[in-house]
Amino acid sequence: MFRPVPRASGYFRTDYAQDMALLQTRAERIGLAALVGVLVTLPFIATPFLLDLACQVFLASIGALSLMLLTGYAGQISLGHAGLIAAGAFTTGILTREINAPFWLTLPASALTGIVLGLVFGLPSLRLRGLYLAVSTLALHFIVIYLGGEYETKRGFSTGILIEKPSLGGFKLTDGRAWYFVLLIFAAATLLICINLLRSRSGRAWRAIHTRETVAEALGISISGYKLLAFVISSSMTSVAGCLFAYYRGFVSIEAFDLFLSIQYVAMIIIGGMGSLLGALLGATFVTIFPYAIEALLKLLPNVQKLAGDIFAVNYASFGVVMILFLVLEPLGLVGIWRRIQNYFLLWPFKYKPLASMRK
Amino acid sequence: MNAPLLQVEKIEVVYKRVITAVQGVTLAVPDGQIVALLGTNGAGKSTTLRAISGFLGLDDAKVTEGSITFEGTSLQNRPPHEIAGHGVVLVPEREKVFPNLTVAENLAAPVVRASKAGDRRQQEERIYHFFPRLADLRDRTGGLLSGGERQMLAIASALMCRPKLLLIDELSLGLAPVVVGDLIRRLAAIRDDLGIAILLVEQSAAVALEIADYAYVMENGRVVLDGDRERLRSHKDVQEFYLGQGNGVGNSDGAVRRSYRDVKQYRRSRRWYG
Amino acid sequence: MQLLINIIVLASIYALIACGYVLIYRVSRVLNLAHGELMMFGAYLVLACASLFAGHPIMALCAAVVLSVVTGALVYVFLMRKMTGEMVLAAILTTVALGILVRGVIVLVWSSQQQYPAQALGISNPTFTLPGDGHISFWSLVLVLTNLAAYGALFGFLRFGRWGMRMRAAGQNPLLAAQRGINLHGVYALAWSLSTLTGALAGILMALDSGVTGSMPVIALKAFPAALVGGLDSLGGALLGALIIAGAEVLLIYYVDPLLSDVVPFLVLVAMLIVRPWGLFGTREELDRV
Repeated sequence: MFRPVPRASGYFRTDYAQDMALLQTRAERIGLAALVGVLVTLPFIATPFLLDLACQVFLASIGALSLMLLTGYAGQISLGHAGLIAAGAFTTGILTREINAPFWLTLPASALTGIVLGLVFGLPSLRLRGLYLAVSTLALHFIVIYLGGEYETKRGFSTGILIEKPSLGGFKLTDGRAWYFVLLIFAAATLLICINLLRSRSGRAWRAIHTRETVAEALGISISGYKLLAFVISSSMTSVAGCLFAYYRGFVSIEAFDLFLSIQYVAMIIIGGMGSLLGALLGATFVTIFPYAIEALLKLLPNVQKLAGDIFAVNYASFGVVMILFLVLEPLGLVGIWRRIQNYFLLWPFKYKPLASMRK
Repeated sequence: MNAPLLQVEKIEVVYKRVITAVQGVTLAVPDGQIVALLGTNGAGKSTTLRAISGFLGLDDAKVTEGSITFEGTSLQNRPPHEIAGHGVVLVPEREKVFPNLTVAENLAAPVVRASKAGDRRQQEERIYHFFPRLADLRDRTGGLLSGGERQMLAIASALMCRPKLLLIDELSLGLAPVVVGDLIRRLAAIRDDLGIAILLVEQSAAVALEIADYAYVMENGRVVLDGDRERLRSHKDVQEFYLGQGNGVGNSDGAVRRSYRDVKQYRRSRRWYG
Repeated sequence: MQLLINIIVLASIYALIACGYVLIYRVSRVLNLAHGELMMFGAYLVLACASLFAGHPIMALCAAVVLSVVTGALVYVFLMRKMTGEMVLAAILTTVALGILVRGVIVLVWSSQQQYPAQALGISNPTFTLPGDGHISFWSLVLVLTNLAAYGALFGFLRFGRWGMRMRAAGQNPLLAAQRGINLHGVYALAWSLSTLTGALAGILMALDSGVTGSMPVIALKAFPAALVGGLDSLGGALLGALIIAGAEVLLIYYVDPLLSDVVPFLVLVAMLIVRPWGLFGTREELDRV
């Protein structure tokens, strides 16, 4: 959630309606309006390259938000996120190839696959915790990828599955701008779902489970129920992202869903900042733009020709370095940096908040 | 009297940069003596002990003020293995033995301070002589020992480091009185025969005052009272609050219990350091 | 007969890699997901040393092994040391990041094409025929023997060696170990060095046998289930786990489908996690650690 927003003056809610409102102050309303304004005008001024980048950020955001829900809030570590995206993409690919299914069928079907896989991924979490859970999701990732690869070879699509652009009510989605808005809407919807889940009973239950499972159980929270719920919701949203990814790219192949993608998603929530939806968005943006930024930086360097062939490797290495730097130096991620800047200006000339309002 | 072995000067310990657990604690352990640190739960005894033994860094805590000097070397905020290398060794309150190592291995793992070839064997023999029971249990794994045996093994393995000062956290916790009595005699022997000083943290003042040469009483992170054994034993407040011998408390013949006003008096009368 | 040899060779590969996971996990509760990359790094070090010590294959190999050990220690001193006391998840992700970094650097320096250190060193790889019409290459045989020697040495070291005992002690109760004068950083650095040593040995011998490419870490990832099936903190378990995984893999590939190769270890892993999450010889209480 975007809260707690540091405020210079005290802001106190006086009734429940205020507490439930998504936007509580005028500053928040103006901020959102400005953001919406920028997001709506962006596609009309951006180059196709920027547009593509924005679309990728939105896709990554959906995945990162759902992973944040699972790992950052419910505390269930998953290293198999790429497997879930692959599952959504492959459901879409298989359905369009086999029965020529339209968009309105593949999307729910992908979500359904996600739900089923969420149950499968979530089952180990009832017995396992921490490291072992991470390992079991890792294993499931490989199994999902294997099944996809098996389908590819058995059906003779050894290079991948081609998918036609979808049509929505007779309108064919080929234009980059149209895609931009579709993905923006999906990402915004995901964000809204997450916010609402987190400020309701389920969100509180997840946080309780994350903090201390035994105590949560003693408080009457159904541990297994809420754990499975977290997995199911998270993976169905991820699968939807996979479905959109398949359509957006027009092509599905298992090569796109290797372990590195899973790691990238985990990196998103780490770099963004654990336990914060804003962090998921920031992290998704950062990780998506990162390779392009590195490429641009390399072009600025003198002996480009030498490195040009190894751009992939440079990317890889620098991504590792950035991840290490964040883990070692800034465990709170981009959100931590952001909060500190905010606090610095709000509290100036003081250095610390008074103890009573210390927030984690 | 020359300078004590361990001198703790007005230390302040702060957890996570905000919570002050111990404030202005000053205490000294002279060579070859047993010094007890008494107090109730949360009085800051264990924190003081952790500060001395270097356990603090792992809890995100720090000694922010004051000094801890051992034989002239400063010990504050040093890593535990260095402190052990100087000859200050801790017997922790919980998890005091390696559960999957046998008794013999538990005694073999510690690093013997300033040792020459042969020292280790000699030290081992001395310890088995000191705790004959451990010699019988040589091949038993640490996790299978009883509470008393475990405490024995913990002290024995600490002695393997050839300490000059032994820090013991909660000697009597969870042990039967018979066992405690036995351990206490052994501690006295460690002091008298091996010449090792001991800083003993205890909740049970009765146990501690049996052997301690000197004692400090802590409350709310401060030392409120100190003195030698006789002084504390005869001190009225100690008798009442720590030894349970005060007027009225523990009386079965329906005598009047003391009112809270006397408690207030006690609070007023105690001394504040720092 | 050939099947049996294949199983033994594969099991030796897995076991030699798996003991690296076990060593680090046992001592510091950290799962080193960069193990595969460090192993590959060892294999590439042979290439580097081959050009450095041209004409002295033995010396080149020794230098590569020594450098791997140093690498392991450096990784701990400069990176993982900062992560001691942090959340285990953060430590694991740091190893993941390290793996990515190492992989990127390797591709930058040596490119991602398949290379043959054995040729660079000028050593051949003769194939022996065993009774019963089985074939085994020279370096595979060396690998099997190295594996046995490594396990023997590690067992002896952990059981009877003073520092081995201290490693076990530190793994069980690091706070107490520090109180007993054991330098935890020293113990952890030792564990990382030993782990990288065994990993690099596996990597080097595999590279000598069949060359090295950028995809070598996948093998290490497949060896991880072996460590877990046996129990993450048990060396004997890792040996048995490697045998189980290798057996399942070779037999299923032979009788069912070669595509299964990459997935069998993980299927076994999932099955194991459902039935007995702490592994065959693992300690149960560790499940709760995060």
